[in-house]
Amino acid sequence: MTDVAIRGLSKSFGTNRVLKALDLTVPSRQFVTLLGPSGCGKTTLLRLIAGLEQPTEGEIRFGERRVDGLPPGERNIAMVFQSYALYPTMDVARNIGYGLEVRGTPKAERRERVGAVAKVLEILHLLGRKPRELSGGQRQRVALGRAMVRKPDIFLMDEPLSNLDAKLRAAMRGELRRFHLDLGTTTIYVTHDQLEAMTMSDLVVVMNEGVVQQIGTPEEVYARPANLFVAGFIGTPPMNLIPARNEGGRVTVEGHPLPVAAPAGAPAELILGIRPQDVSMATPGEPGTIPGKVWMVELIGSERLIEVEIAPKVRVTAEVRASHRAALDDAVAVRLDPAQIHLFDPASGQALPREAVREVGARPA
Amino acid sequence: MSRWAAALIYAVLGAVTFVVCFPLLWAISTSLKPKDEIFRWPPTLIPETITFESYRELLFGGAVASAPGAGVPPSAYFMDWFVNSVIVSVGSTAISITVATLAAYSLTRFRFRGQRAVPYVAILGYMIPSVIFVFPMFLTMVALDLPDTLLSLILGYVCITLPFCLWLMWAFFRGVPIEIEEAALVDGATRLQVFRQIVLPVALPGIIAASIFSLIVSWNDYLFGRVFMNSMDKLPLTVGVMHFFDGTHVDWGLMMASSVLMTLPMAILFGFMQRHLVAGFGAGAVKG
Amino acid sequence: MRFRLSDRQVGVLFMLPLLVSVALFLVWPIVEAIRLSFVRYNPLRPDDQPFVWFDNYLFVLEDPLFWESFRQALVWTGISTLAQAVIGVGLALLLHQPLRGINAFRGLLLFPYIVPTVVIALNWRWLFNAEIGIVNHLLLSAGIISERVAWLSTPDMAMASAILLNVWKYTPFVVIVVLARLQTIPTELYDAAKVDGAGAIRRFRDITLPQLAEVLAVVVVFRTIWTFNKFEEIYLLTRGGPGTSTYNLALYAFDQAMANLRMGVGAASGVIMLVLLLAGSLLYIRLTGFGREDRAA
Repeated sequence: MTDVAIRGLSKSFGTNRVLKALDLTVPSRQFVTLLGPSGCGKTTLLRLIAGLEQPTEGEIRFGERRVDGLPPGERNIAMVFQSYALYPTMDVARNIGYGLEVRGTPKAERRERVGAVAKVLEILHLLGRKPRELSGGQRQRVALGRAMVRKPDIFLMDEPLSNLDAKLRAAMRGELRRFHLDLGTTTIYVTHDQLEAMTMSDLVVVMNEGVVQQIGTPEEVYARPANLFVAGFIGTPPMNLIPARNEGGRVTVEGHPLPVAAPAGAPAELILGIRPQDVSMATPGEPGTIPGKVWMVELIGSERLIEVEIAPKVRVTAEVRASHRAALDDAVAVRLDPAQIHLFDPASGQALPREAVREVGARPA
Repeated sequence: MSRWAAALIYAVLGAVTFVVCFPLLWAISTSLKPKDEIFRWPPTLIPETITFESYRELLFGGAVASAPGAGVPPSAYFMDWFVNSVIVSVGSTAISITVATLAAYSLTRFRFRGQRAVPYVAILGYMIPSVIFVFPMFLTMVALDLPDTLLSLILGYVCITLPFCLWLMWAFFRGVPIEIEEAALVDGATRLQVFRQIVLPVALPGIIAASIFSLIVSWNDYLFGRVFMNSMDKLPLTVGVMHFFDGTHVDWGLMMASSVLMTLPMAILFGFMQRHLVAGFGAGAVKG
Repeated sequence: MRFRLSDRQVGVLFMLPLLVSVALFLVWPIVEAIRLSFVRYNPLRPDDQPFVWFDNYLFVLEDPLFWESFRQALVWTGISTLAQAVIGVGLALLLHQPLRGINAFRGLLLFPYIVPTVVIALNWRWLFNAEIGIVNHLLLSAGIISERVAWLSTPDMAMASAILLNVWKYTPFVVIVVLARLQTIPTELYDAAKVDGAGAIRRFRDITLPQLAEVLAVVVVFRTIWTFNKFEEIYLLTRGGPGTSTYNLALYAFDQAMANLRMGVGAASGVIMLVLLLAGSLLYIRLTGFGREDRAA
């Protein structure tokens, strides 16, 4: 199986620098997701790996083989496109077998391999139909079939679920995951939807503005975001990011000290991050809490989101059980779970090292 | 794409464009040459001497040496023909546009029986060759005592421009949302007021496009002019110019100069249309 | 307006001019043409219109000139349309490239469509003049021919010149239509084909061409119908000559009515053309199932 090694990859379209000296290794057999907002360069990176674009600088290797000069047809890859790109004038069987047909595979062998793939994907009964007669889910299976039949070294997928409705998307997420587990082929997947990234990937590559922000497992990027961008991008509802101060080694928010110590060498101004799931409601005046006023309450099913204004324009969202009620303008306080507090340097956006954040007044283990 | 491929494409397109434009470039070149240079063999690509004598003869009926007793040379009528063409094109366009716009609006905004059939009947008219229309129309004109008048040509041209104008305006109106009119109706305007004050301004790009098309078609027609008109001074340009072939001596300079003068208005309209069509249909696209 | 017209009345009112026009300028002439085809009509003696049943049609169908015109019309239409289709598609493919300044070419190449046919016929006569025309000069200088070609005075060359004129004038129409269709083919299809390993020629054959097929069929049919019945292009260039070698049906009808003063016969030829036209359209509709929903995935 093949890993993908990318060194110093840059791509510019005219004066627009989309990718800037990117380094990345996709380990073999893993399902790696390129995640980021529109325009971050993830699709461009995918297309460069596919060979549909040429890099301005840098190199791409599949295993030991240097591929950045090769056309897509010679890289032994397969790709699933956002709109599936099924050939509209060909029937499903020909669509799936087209790559084999182009390479001169004899008809009998083609029919056999197409049939085998169709069986696995449960689309045998659709082989004679044209793409326009298929539903969205069926089309995606055909696209997968076309990718599978050539037994490529690498699968590339460009937001294949974004054209499906929410329910189908959830079902297909599971199917794609199974698909990967069964075949074990190196897969590079592009999406802007963090839920897809989190549920399907072995590794997540978070990108923004042509630069890799963080590479890690879903757990890592969720629990230990490397910078402000990743912290704010991953997680629903998004992480609270509020200004804080480093006063003599102790972290304070709006003048209220928290049972958290700032790491050595931390600047005076900090940004504090805490996920709404780690914020709980308390009575004003309890030690280690921050007082405020209820700004907004939203019920989201079994949970309730309470947005508390702790200072003009500074709000903290807490996620609590739906049974917990609150009224607008109530005087409340929020408690931040010290073990889940992230600290960031406002100047660089980088996360400050977690291990050094110590709880003040914590009992020894 | 590689630079070689790009260069090749440019080269081919350039060559094709040159071949396409050559006939007219050559016409311009000939029209600027003095008569003796025109008849030289081998011909010169670029005129050695530039003269406007052909143009002057056409535009101002300049001094033309014609054999005594030969009568008035055809070129003397050039300006008459030009004016005739203008009158006829503009007249028929005005009629076609008015009829088409009213009908197209009616098609898209109102419902009544047999409505659906109308545009298809009209398009049938577009497909039928003019030779079939020409003679019956001519006889009608004779019956109405109109032959050899510009009015007959105007009516004749309505025949061939109306179908397409209708289709164009119909397609255009279908794309204009009905909400703005409904807002006006809610405000208390009558249907006629809505049409005049709200719809027509919005329809302007479509009207302009259809007008330009209609003008071009009427200006360029030959057959109707040939059949309907007789007197030298009443001919449209297309028919008149063919009279330059009368007689033994063909004046190519005059011919080419008239070609240029005949094409010029069309070229201007065409340039106008290119820019306007794009702008019109872009700006006319009403938001949501 | 003091009194309010109902919506329905306004709708009908607006339609009225069109209905009148269609009746006067469309329906009436066709009806008249059909009526004329059944009488003998000499324009110089307009009151004498004896009814002659199918005499006119028989005259036409027994006239060798009619069949000659028919054959020539087929040749002229077939070759012109084929050339227009091939060149049109080729040009559209070239113009579809994302190159800078390609739009300038698009504008220029559309130009022939709006030039008056008369102008073009005149220009062609001058260009292809046997003695002093520039085309002969250029071809001689380039060594392609060894002596001046009589473009318009031999039957084959005259037909060739007429075809050339037709191709020059109407290929832009094909280009526009094909180019518009090309621009709706999603580029992802080509990406997928590249990943599948298809080279440029395969991509053209398997993706572009099938998608163009529908549009091309429509264009070819329209061009065929229009070309078959065209009058001005041939009349103004060759007058149907030399002799009658470039006659087509439209010229035949015109000739019968104007030159031979047999308007009845002219009308009959016109009606025959109409019947052919309808037959051709029906055939096309039957063959392609026009109107069937054919949306691509």
